[in-house]
Amino acid sequence: MLWYKAWLETRARFLAALGAILLLSSFQVLRGNGEADRHLLSLSWHYEVLHRAHSSLAMLWVLAVSLLMMGGLIREMAVGASDFTLALPVSRAQLMRVRIGMGFLQAITLAVAAWIVMFLLANLGGDARSLENAGWHLLLLVVGGSVFVSWALLVSTLIPGEYTAPAVCLGVVLLVVIVLGDPPLNQWSPSSLLTGNEYLNRRTMMLGGPIPWVRLTATVAMAALMAIGAVKVMQRREF
Amino acid sequence: MTELPAIQTHRLSKWYGRTEAVRELNLSVARNRITGFLGRNGAGKTTTIKMLLGMMRPTSGEGSVLGKKIDDPSESVAMRREVAYVSEDKRLYGYMTVGQLIRFTASFYPDWQVDVEQTLLKKYELPVSRKVKALSKGMHTKLALLLAFARKPKLLILDEPSGGLDPVGVEELLEGLVSLCAQGTTVFFSSHQIPEVERVADHVCILEHGRLVADVSLDEIRQSYRQINVVFPFEPANFQVKLDGVSKVETRGRQVRLFATGHLEEIVNWARSFEASAIDVTPLGLREVFLKTIQE
Repeated sequence: MLWYKAWLETRARFLAALGAILLLSSFQVLRGNGEADRHLLSLSWHYEVLHRAHSSLAMLWVLAVSLLMMGGLIREMAVGASDFTLALPVSRAQLMRVRIGMGFLQAITLAVAAWIVMFLLANLGGDARSLENAGWHLLLLVVGGSVFVSWALLVSTLIPGEYTAPAVCLGVVLLVVIVLGDPPLNQWSPSSLLTGNEYLNRRTMMLGGPIPWVRLTATVAMAALMAIGAVKVMQRREF
Repeated sequence: MTELPAIQTHRLSKWYGRTEAVRELNLSVARNRITGFLGRNGAGKTTTIKMLLGMMRPTSGEGSVLGKKIDDPSESVAMRREVAYVSEDKRLYGYMTVGQLIRFTASFYPDWQVDVEQTLLKKYELPVSRKVKALSKGMHTKLALLLAFARKPKLLILDEPSGGLDPVGVEELLEGLVSLCAQGTTVFFSSHQIPEVERVADHVCILEHGRLVADVSLDEIRQSYRQINVVFPFEPANFQVKLDGVSKVETRGRQVRLFATGHLEEIVNWARSFEASAIDVTPLGLREVFLKTIQE
């Protein structure tokens, strides 16, 4: 039933985020479809549309997961409901595991749903049937984006306040994007991994080449460290 | 074999920086009784309760609830399966409906009593489909009490349980506590409402500045605690009373007021030996005992 609680707690935010993401992704692809006539000579136009839409999706996705990961015991403490949760016969680690699980499930759902819609719409207006390309984008978004999910989780366990925590979380994300935006630092930027620009074949406008396992593994390891840190913080915290 | 107390602490202390919220508390709450936990605001009652439930870590000392160590996370989880707690502000999940919250809570307790749940739902007139955030303060309190009562706890800990309740609600709460205790639940509740405590408690513990200053049964108070007003024909000079059972002495001119916790006959005989012109013995209520105890 902790999953049920986690779902009810985030349901409104998740559905709002899903709606916004689907709307934006659809709009981007449909607009690209509408411009297809002007790009008759470009065989890769619809892949280009998909890649552009993915870049916008990545930004909105980071914003969405950051807001979705806000909440939990610290927010409950602010509204006075943490005593009820902490009196239940469950450990804090268990509460955190469910929250992390629900957060990642929702993050993955947002990414997959957006890509399904984008893929279908792009193929309605043209030809962009490469599942490999879609898989590449999704892999980078979800695995590369895991660090943002964990970061939001960590901030939500450290900083109380309904508005302070998301402001700090997104502020730091923005700072990282700006500071690590240009070469050579951009190879360390999680946001450039997310968009996949570095792996884009400019001729086909598809992602390709060997999958950057080392970079993805390092990102997942960092995300895991932050998630473990968040659990430890929560276990030691006094309410 | 004697049964372990429901709650036991040994030199339990909690510091917030340089402030000592709870000071070497030795508390023992017997099973199958209603124990009132009294103290002024900031006396350390809520901090003590939160340490017992594992929400806060003691700075030093140790404690156990239903035989489970309070500072061991896994034992604390096991303990919370048998303990129900109603916090002071009784806030619950505003995003759930009453029905969803009941189902959610019930899922953690195999002994959940559906008949109690249904009875209290009807009695408290709680709307099952209404969102918790749309409930009034009194309804919040009633829902929190339902969630605690229906889980059939071995120990029920309540922090200011009557807050937000109307007189009828308070009456129902007190009846509920007595009824639960009769069924074998130990009740430990903090309150500022002394008449409520006096009505239902078997025992009271009084906390002042984080220290336990009284640990006494209500029967003992009723039987032995007295205020003795003595009027002497002369004004006693440098008056000192060193008698067993006298906890406090107030002198105003020819009148001396003694607060006794026993040895009443000896005290009255002592007053007579000074040729007191009037001796008036009146029983002390919990309110007077509380006020005298924390003013000492």
